Amino acid sequence: MNPFDFYGPQFLIFYLILGAVVISASVYLRRQAESGIPTKTEFSDPYLLAYLRGGPNESLRIAVVSLIDRELLEVQKTSKKNVTDLVTKKRVTADIARRPIEKALLKKFETSEAATTIFGDSELESSCEEYKKQLTQLGYLPDEATKAARRQRFLIGALILLSVATVKIIVALSRGRYNILFLIILAVIFPICLYRISNPFRAARGDRMLKDLRTLFSSLKKRGKSIKPGGGTSELALLIGVFGLGALSARAFPYAKKLYPKATSSGSSCGSSCGSSCGSSCGGGGCGGGCGGCGG
Amino acid sequence: MMDRIGIGWRSEIAAGILANLNEIDVVEVIADDFFDATNKHIQSLQTLSKQVPVVFHGVSLGLASSTPVEITRLEKTARLMEKVRPESWSEHLAFVRGGGLEIGHLAAPPRTDATIEGAIKNLFLAKRIVGALPHVENIATLIEPPGSDYDEVFWINSILHGSNAGLLLDLHNLYANAINFGEDPFYMISKLPLEKIVSIHLAGGKWVSNKQYGDERRLLDDHLHDVPDAVYSLLTEVASMVNNPLTVIIERDGLFPSMECLIQQIKQARHAISVGRGRKTINQNTVAT
Repeated sequence: MNPFDFYGPQFLIFYLILGAVVISASVYLRRQAESGIPTKTEFSDPYLLAYLRGGPNESLRIAVVSLIDRELLEVQKTSKKNVTDLVTKKRVTADIARRPIEKALLKKFETSEAATTIFGDSELESSCEEYKKQLTQLGYLPDEATKAARRQRFLIGALILLSVATVKIIVALSRGRYNILFLIILAVIFPICLYRISNPFRAARGDRMLKDLRTLFSSLKKRGKSIKPGGGTSELALLIGVFGLGALSARAFPYAKKLYPKATSSGSSCGSSCGSSCGSSCGGGGCGGGCGGCGG
Repeated sequence: MMDRIGIGWRSEIAAGILANLNEIDVVEVIADDFFDATNKHIQSLQTLSKQVPVVFHGVSLGLASSTPVEITRLEKTARLMEKVRPESWSEHLAFVRGGGLEIGHLAAPPRTDATIEGAIKNLFLAKRIVGALPHVENIATLIEPPGSDYDEVFWINSILHGSNAGLLLDLHNLYANAINFGEDPFYMISKLPLEKIVSIHLAGGKWVSNKQYGDERRLLDDHLHDVPDAVYSLLTEVASMVNNPLTVIIERDGLFPSMECLIQQIKQARHAISVGRGRKTINQNTVAT
């Protein structure tokens, strides 16, 4: 039984199964290679976990809410629709903050600006670089070796998928059959899917860490709706670091919804794709807003 | 090894605990909560144990009973220990069921030869199945167990000597029992086998009254209140007497105050121990000279 002798629909089914097998194998091998029990992690800085969840944009979002909660930043009303401005409170200087990300934010908002301008700001992003380094060292984000292994797995998978499709196309054309459009579409779609699935923002160990923290904090999330503003506690920052702004009570923290409505409306279901698409690679304020949905 | 201060792991204060690991040396997890847990929860516990030393604490074995401990519970403990590999585990010297009925409470058994013998047998059984002896904890009681032949200290000492188990000394339980039954807590501590004390529990409670007690009020160990100063004084006393490094756990089961308040209690416990250790050094120097 030579699959290249299959008729069109039969071969398409075969190719769909092949694609699913290749993608599943790629996911399985990646998880095997990158998994492990999370190692000792520094939890005193909640922005680290926020970075793990959604990259620099998420760290910045959480830092903004934390600074407002600690009354170092202030929400300003504007006449512009759907835009909320932020400004550093009077008599507050950047030196008052301990962490580089907070210093950078206080400095940025010395003059009033829209809250969404934090996204794509290179200076702010560079204040988060340390988190990326730490998370990579911990094996939660892929390092160069992991990325190379991912590339290799992707290339092997893509090669299998493209080779099979190419051979079948040649066979079909040589037999005078031209109904190959669906196969060409699948041959394009599968490698794209494979690429996206092979290259998530986090390593499997990072996924595990986040999943375990969500399990450990499950009761805390229920309490999130009862956390009142003004506490300025590390507990609040860690809660939203792990679950996102959506964990906060809209009544107690109305400004969070105004600042980043998409982030507060989403649940905690943001998966690894969120990190890769908005966490590390996007720039510009538009992206910040668009990626807000990853906040959960 | 140094003295260590920690807190009971409760998911309500989980973020506060993890955010303050610079102040918290160890956490105590209630093992029973994970007996039938899903793989997801066991994995999260494994992750926790990589972040901070974990010790297990059991509440449902009912060691201090003339009836044998349920094997299935010991097997569950063993499986959990195997998966998470905590530093140690502990259980109460209490009975929790009898005649097929669950009491739903850690009850003080009659302090008799039968319960001493039963507890020792149960401890050996636990060691055989789990692979390690638990540290055993003294419990609080509002009534003197009826039918008792011995006082609490003699009864505990007999079990410790017969089983060779270490003592998890709950200072609030000891304090509450001493207050409720007119004993001197410092004297009770002095009569315990000091070399067996390996860990300490601190907790708080509240005063309760009941017609059953006449006009008296009694101190209920409820784990819902801050650790009283008297208990810190007892901790200082223990630290001034024992040579073992101590693992001290603050137990809080509800009405959680702010994390800052709990951290303050951890600091207070650390201070109480250091005062006790300092006193011990002075005493040793005095004897030497």
